Amino acid sequence: MPRFRCILPVLSCLTALSLNGQTPGFEGTVRPFLTKNCVACHNASVKSGELNLVPFRDPASLDKHNTWETIVHKLKTGEMPPKGVPRPKQPEVDAVASWLEAELERREQSIPPDPGRVTARRLNRTEYNNTIRDLLNVPFRPADDFPADDAGYGFDNIGDVLSLSPVLMEKYLAAAEKIARKALGLETALKPTAERYKAEYRPQSPLFFRARHYFPQTAEYEIRAGAGGQKEQRFAPVTLELLIDGRQAGLYSIDTDGEYRKPAVLRITVPEGEHVIAARLESTAQDGSDPRDRSKNMVVDHVEVRGPFRPAGMPSTPLSYGAVFTCSHDRTRHDAACVRSSVSRLVRRAWRRPVAEAETDRLMKFVEMARAEGDSYETAMAQVLKAILVSPQFLFRIEPDGDRKLNAHEIAARLSYFLWSSMPDAELFRAADEGSLLKPDVLQAQVKRMLADPKAAALAEDFAGQWLQIRNLAEWKPDPEKFPGFDEELRDAMYRETTLLFQKVLREDRSVLEFLDAPYTHLNERLARHYGIPGVEGEPFRIVKLPHGNRGGVLTHASVLTVSSYPTRTSPVMRGKWVLENLLGAPPPPPPANVPALEEGDAQLIGTLRQRMEKHRSNAVCSSCHARMDAIGFGLENYDAVGAWRVNDGGHPIEPAGTLPNGKSFAGPAELKKILLDDKDSFAYALSEKMLTYALGRGLEAYDRRSVKSIAAKLKADDYRFSTLILEVVNSLPFRMRRAERTGTT
Amino acid sequence: MKKHLPRRTFLRGLGTSLALPLLDAMTPAFARTKGPAPLRMAFVYVPNGIHMPYFTPSVEGKAFDLPRVLAPLEKHREDFMVLSGLTHHNGRALGDGPGDHARAAASYLTGVHPKKTAGADIKNGPSVDQIAAQHIGKASRFASIELGCEDGRLVGNCDSGYSCAYSNSISWRSETTPMPPEVNPRAVFERLFGNADFSETPEARARRQRYNKSILDFVLEDARSLKTALGPTDQRKLDEYLHGVREIERRIESAEKQPDVLPALDKPSGVPVEYDAYVKMMMDLMAVAFQADLTRISTLMMAREGSNRTYREIGVSEGHHGLSHHQNNPEWVEKIARINVYHMELFAYMLEKFKSVKEGDGTLLDNTMLVYGSGLSDGNRHWHHDLPVIAAGRGKGNFHPGRHVRYGKDTPMANLFVTMLDRMGVPAEKFGDATGKLEQLSEL
Repeated sequence: MPRFRCILPVLSCLTALSLNGQTPGFEGTVRPFLTKNCVACHNASVKSGELNLVPFRDPASLDKHNTWETIVHKLKTGEMPPKGVPRPKQPEVDAVASWLEAELERREQSIPPDPGRVTARRLNRTEYNNTIRDLLNVPFRPADDFPADDAGYGFDNIGDVLSLSPVLMEKYLAAAEKIARKALGLETALKPTAERYKAEYRPQSPLFFRARHYFPQTAEYEIRAGAGGQKEQRFAPVTLELLIDGRQAGLYSIDTDGEYRKPAVLRITVPEGEHVIAARLESTAQDGSDPRDRSKNMVVDHVEVRGPFRPAGMPSTPLSYGAVFTCSHDRTRHDAACVRSSVSRLVRRAWRRPVAEAETDRLMKFVEMARAEGDSYETAMAQVLKAILVSPQFLFRIEPDGDRKLNAHEIAARLSYFLWSSMPDAELFRAADEGSLLKPDVLQAQVKRMLADPKAAALAEDFAGQWLQIRNLAEWKPDPEKFPGFDEELRDAMYRETTLLFQKVLREDRSVLEFLDAPYTHLNERLARHYGIPGVEGEPFRIVKLPHGNRGGVLTHASVLTVSSYPTRTSPVMRGKWVLENLLGAPPPPPPANVPALEEGDAQLIGTLRQRMEKHRSNAVCSSCHARMDAIGFGLENYDAVGAWRVNDGGHPIEPAGTLPNGKSFAGPAELKKILLDDKDSFAYALSEKMLTYALGRGLEAYDRRSVKSIAAKLKADDYRFSTLILEVVNSLPFRMRRAERTGTT
Repeated sequence: MKKHLPRRTFLRGLGTSLALPLLDAMTPAFARTKGPAPLRMAFVYVPNGIHMPYFTPSVEGKAFDLPRVLAPLEKHREDFMVLSGLTHHNGRALGDGPGDHARAAASYLTGVHPKKTAGADIKNGPSVDQIAAQHIGKASRFASIELGCEDGRLVGNCDSGYSCAYSNSISWRSETTPMPPEVNPRAVFERLFGNADFSETPEARARRQRYNKSILDFVLEDARSLKTALGPTDQRKLDEYLHGVREIERRIESAEKQPDVLPALDKPSGVPVEYDAYVKMMMDLMAVAFQADLTRISTLMMAREGSNRTYREIGVSEGHHGLSHHQNNPEWVEKIARINVYHMELFAYMLEKFKSVKEGDGTLLDNTMLVYGSGLSDGNRHWHHDLPVIAAGRGKGNFHPGRHVRYGKDTPMANLFVTMLDRMGVPAEKFGDATGKLEQLSEL
């Protein structure tokens, strides 16, 4: 049991040490402090938190920047030394922390600046879809079928992690084929078919049935749902609701009389791709009869899809013609000259850079080949398009190796994939072509323009969705028995509340601190009901002023509160960890191996979760990390595992009050948020770090700290305005330069 | 309205597309070209370990017992063996601290200790299936097929500082290239049988292939000339690309030599909502791919490692991973056991399916070496030793099933893989932490 071993040595040497009269500096301040307070737990054999501090008693270790930064952080927040071991006096801690801070800063300034190196980034699924949309104007999301992209550093746009398997390569070729056909109007209408999904009666859901269906073309479809069960007319007609992707698409009245019962039939245009179709039937169960009993009650029997009928988007000259052909959009009037200029424009846009004549010539060979085969110009152009889309120059964002500033087109591509998750538009291209994009004022104006563009919503989806982890909401399955109110509509509303906040801050260039706390939020009726906030009616979202601090800011959003819980219950540890990791940039180290997770604990233990968790703090090894994590998590216990407000849990009153290791106390979530807001610097640093990681598509290294610090400092100086964060990321050294890959380093 | 719909099409969808046994609907055109059936190799992975007291038979040899988790395989007891005592030493921390789930999946088929990184320098080892694929993959249209029943789309930290790539894939083509599983049955189907409308004339098809070939030539040239301007890391990225293109070229050539396979089976319409239907459909697709000799090597992940999937259909509303840290709480152990049994019932379906495919005098199962297991034994304590291993099928005489074999403490799991590679005719002197071949697989 390492936890006991480490307390005793601390006690034994405590009285012997004093700092009085010693020269400040490493030898005088830091080393004795470590020896006295730290190495008893952090040594080669005990290694609490996977950390051995013995080598850190040597000043040469000051180059191990990351570890030292963490040490300073832990000292400043009061997390270290932990409760349960005797603590040094505060002035002693402050002296060590501030000496270290100054020294680390000094050293950092003396390291030559290093922009680092970004590995060629393959387009991820989102980027691929968006790029096809913007390149060709085709309503089609081919990448939805690609294998999932792996993530690293919390994001799925990291060059090193985005690998390319043979399967994916096949998908690229197949997708290019499909895209080319669509873009050039070569697609043929599919014959309609019918597919029926029989409801199999799962215990909980005789009245609700859903199936995932692939709609092969954007077209009209007939969606039918039939009710089965109880054959005699006993009741007034019941309602049957049809849903597509969790949203109501039609409401029907179904005769309860088996003989006259007709299916619900919905005719609707559905975009190509997979969609979840569902039917929900009003219950006919009465007198407490079992709703599953088909002899007494009605149940959903099946859902059926027929189609496609009248495929959309296949007129003789589709919209995409304008994106492909430069001259005439009339099929009969294409000629060699027109095709050449079209190819040249298309390849330049697709490869996001100027293209030499010789490169166009290479592509024109496909036109010659197709014409020689007797194919039309459209078919010829389709081959060119396929070659462009399968080329590594489209699939990867490649920046040639070298120690250098990025050129204007590389900057344009970095900008557009950062802010839009897509390719540069015509105006950005123009600024790159002219070279003016490299001028600070033009760059700034472009960034502001891009942020104002609706495509910047991608930042909310892709950056915020991953930063706050609310992307996970889509797959989340809260226990339906404990949370029967959780449905697709609520899931959707939760997600939208958070993205709408992000978009508002982005669009109106507000303070990023509003992510932490805001006196308003976006609600619709469903979510307001979930929150117990009266007076919000209807599906559309609107801004609602919040009367008190129990709601407001992402920490109180049901989305965040749900994804930081278990499906069946809350976890103060997970929530505390979520806050430390995502809002304060201080991820706790993983728990030591073979230490049981307490809260999932002992059946014999009784009492509230809180009483059980006090164990974490009575033990030095645990308390070092948990003191802060648990206090924050318990401060959020008024929200249940789907984010609804509660004052009791399992008959025990919630006690949200707590004290952080730095001595600050709070009575509940509203005050907890205020305390977090006191630590604006940590939040600004954490957010800058996340934003820079996302913008670059690589993990950050020690040499990036300087950039992050500078971004965070400027963000602070400008009242935390969102656009400043973005502009400073764009202006940072690693965003605008790259270094060569030296042998032996990566 | 009904008039527009051919009756056959209409009927095909009835009773859910899942209920239709895929293999029964095959036409003779589907059958493998003549000659003796080839040897296949497949791996089925379950996450978060298995509750071993309910798994390991207490009796060794032929008279082995079937504890609760193995009970669903009762009917097939002559068709599999339980191999006890195998270990993945390289899944252990070895100084890298927490992250046992990531290491469990990463080391499972590689026997290699994965490098701890969130992304910058992913390094694992080539996996047994991929080594085999590189040697014998050319014999079939697809070198290998990787399947999964859970989308790896979760965000955040996958496991204690390990990139999600480690827990999402058990197949690794090289040290740096994982092979993410295909999770959509429809997409698997399209990959196996083509996306084409079968009404395309042979001439049109041939012409399309000519176009595609010159497009591939074009992009190969592109990639090669680009490479010269890049640093070593970026060059590696382009190597992945080049490999992918060459695989497609090979496929086009094979399609020219050998007529396309026309399955008279329904294309799956997507990911079934119900998990059991989902898994079974993937198993069906693997069986079909083997039967038609489209591939000889395949992996299937029932869920990604560390999966927190809930299994409400069997009364488990808590996430699997959370439950696996059960602290011997009986209620939680019970739920873990239920999940383990559920997975095993699905595996029983797979054995059934493989047995139902006749090949010569035997069945597909007779010609397959099929391994089922997890990279952890006790999920509660993250143990990497004494792993749960089932080796099913006869592998053309290379497996002698119907037994429980116990190996010495800490016998490397990699030894099993080296032996399997050897039986596939693939030389593998060095593989992971293997120390030699595993005895007693085919002999008594």
